[in-house]
Amino acid sequence: MSIHIQKVSKTFGSFQALQDISIDIESGELIALLGPSGSGKTTLLRILAGLEGLDEGAILFDGQNITNVSPKERKVGFVFQHYALFRHMTVFDNVAYGLKVRPRKTRPSKEEISKKVTDLLALVKLDNFADRYPSQLSGGQRQRVALARALAVEPKVLLLDEPFGALDAKVRKELRRWLRKLHNEFHVTSIFVTHDQEEALDVANRIIVMNNGQIEQVGTPEEVYEHPNSPFVYDFLGNVNLFRGRLHKGKLTQGQFEIDVPTYLDSYDDAVGYVRPHDIQIEKEPLNNETVAAKIVHIHMVGPIVQIELKREDVDEYLEAEIPKEHYRELNINNGDTVYIRPKQLRVFIPEDFSI
Amino acid sequence: MTKPLEVEQETSLKVGNVATKSYALQESALVKWSLITISLIFLALFLILPLVSIFVTALEKGWATYVASIADPDALAAIKLTLTVVLIVVPLNAIFGIVAAWAITKFSFKGKNVLITLIDLPFAVSPVIAGLVFILLFGAQGLFGEWLFQNDIKIVFALPGIVIATMFVTFPFVARELIPLMQMQGITEEEASISLGASGWKTFFFVTLPNIKWGLLYGLILCNARTIGEFGAVSVVSGHIRGMTNTMPLHIEILYNEYQFTAAFAVASLMSILAIITIIIKNIIEWKAKDV
Repeated sequence: MSIHIQKVSKTFGSFQALQDISIDIESGELIALLGPSGSGKTTLLRILAGLEGLDEGAILFDGQNITNVSPKERKVGFVFQHYALFRHMTVFDNVAYGLKVRPRKTRPSKEEISKKVTDLLALVKLDNFADRYPSQLSGGQRQRVALARALAVEPKVLLLDEPFGALDAKVRKELRRWLRKLHNEFHVTSIFVTHDQEEALDVANRIIVMNNGQIEQVGTPEEVYEHPNSPFVYDFLGNVNLFRGRLHKGKLTQGQFEIDVPTYLDSYDDAVGYVRPHDIQIEKEPLNNETVAAKIVHIHMVGPIVQIELKREDVDEYLEAEIPKEHYRELNINNGDTVYIRPKQLRVFIPEDFSI
Repeated sequence: MTKPLEVEQETSLKVGNVATKSYALQESALVKWSLITISLIFLALFLILPLVSIFVTALEKGWATYVASIADPDALAAIKLTLTVVLIVVPLNAIFGIVAAWAITKFSFKGKNVLITLIDLPFAVSPVIAGLVFILLFGAQGLFGEWLFQNDIKIVFALPGIVIATMFVTFPFVARELIPLMQMQGITEEEASISLGASGWKTFFFVTLPNIKWGLLYGLILCNARTIGEFGAVSVVSGHIRGMTNTMPLHIEILYNEYQFTAAFAVASLMSILAIITIIIKNIIEWKAKDV
């Protein structure tokens, strides 16, 4: 089912939770709502489910305005952050709940419900846990029960609020993979909220980055990671190094240090270049004005990527670089060495444009 | 990594709850035993001795007198009236208690804190004053007295007055018990139920009620105990009409004032038995609720 969010605004007292949000979501997409806490992502999700009202704007499901439709009629599967399982019901009864409470006319027979629940429990690999109570399950198992319960009503949209937030790293990774697989099988339009950029990049096929109740950027994981359109997105998605300087005639200069930025022809006294750690090149010898001297402070060497912390020698700023292990071996560098670094790719932002 | 940590926390919590065997708090045997002895003596003097004396005095003149004083028509009328009041007040307070607790915990609205404070009011006001308030409202010289008289409705010195006064005094028990419980449980289970397509009523019966049932029962037990025993407020509004508007506590007082000690204690023993049963049920509920 396609979803159209049209100019939605919401305030809580004097706090503007959402400001003029418009998003179009195609049927079958797997969307991540990514942002820091307080960015409005959970509020937006709850508005979609009808658990929260909106002040202005409209929500359309398949072109139909459902802004004033009650949550019980929206056919939305909602997975709560802390699962919200019914604590006095067994796993089986939890999953069966959405079918059991249907009005008599549309309610499936007992056998049908039982079969459906058994199938769903098999899908989430909890067949042997049907008679357990939520308190007897681990976090990951509860999460899967919550998913099965939401899927039981055959929702047209699946909404997940921080679905992996309360789980430990290993279970989280497993469930992430599992959610993507599930989505590939069912193709139900799914939106999940997360503050974890890695999770969003890993699972979603489109990411909506939110900040301060507004949308910062919408795009595929590659787009938002490789081509962030604002300093906020740059900063929020992955680590970033800042190079402050003067922008003039396609060059960003800071003292002796000069970076070629041929695409920026305007002049500004105060500009900031954003560089990802893996776009920092390390040389052993200086290269005209294009490199800047830095001292290696720390080398972190676990895994195939070596992380190197550096301190610039001209200004009191720290940098972070990531290079493949092979390259690191070729360079033959150690803690305390002075090296020369050069940004391979950078994006310039002018601060006042983004001072909010 | 997290899992073993959780287990550890749980066990240490349990140790803390079940038996405080903190090394730092260990005292010498002398201190320990003198504290235990003092509390036992206190209990014996102030609780067990009076309770035993009720039964001893009640049975002083033999079993036949005991049965006769309970089988007395006035006594039977008092017992009947008390039970009638219980049957009306307890269910009504259950409904009002749930409604008030629901309103306070599931919605946010202006004046919520005022409502919470008002619920406590009956605990703060002396029952005698509560009774007087209803006389001032519904008595012959009261605010609605004339209108009630013209329409031939009797509230004061009749069953309705007793019920209203008792309800006022016992209202906080259910609400007070449910509010913290429902606040702790939050509203996400209800939200989950609604988003799964359940109506408000189904959500209440299938999700909310099962979650609060032990707390509710506990509140009802306390409400019930107080309803049976309420003296002050009822004494003011009942008018002490023998065989008509005397509840058990009022009947006991009358018998006592007439120097019929055995009869007074016989009825009192009956009330004590009700109280003891109440405490036992209360403990069973507490024990059951802990399991859930």
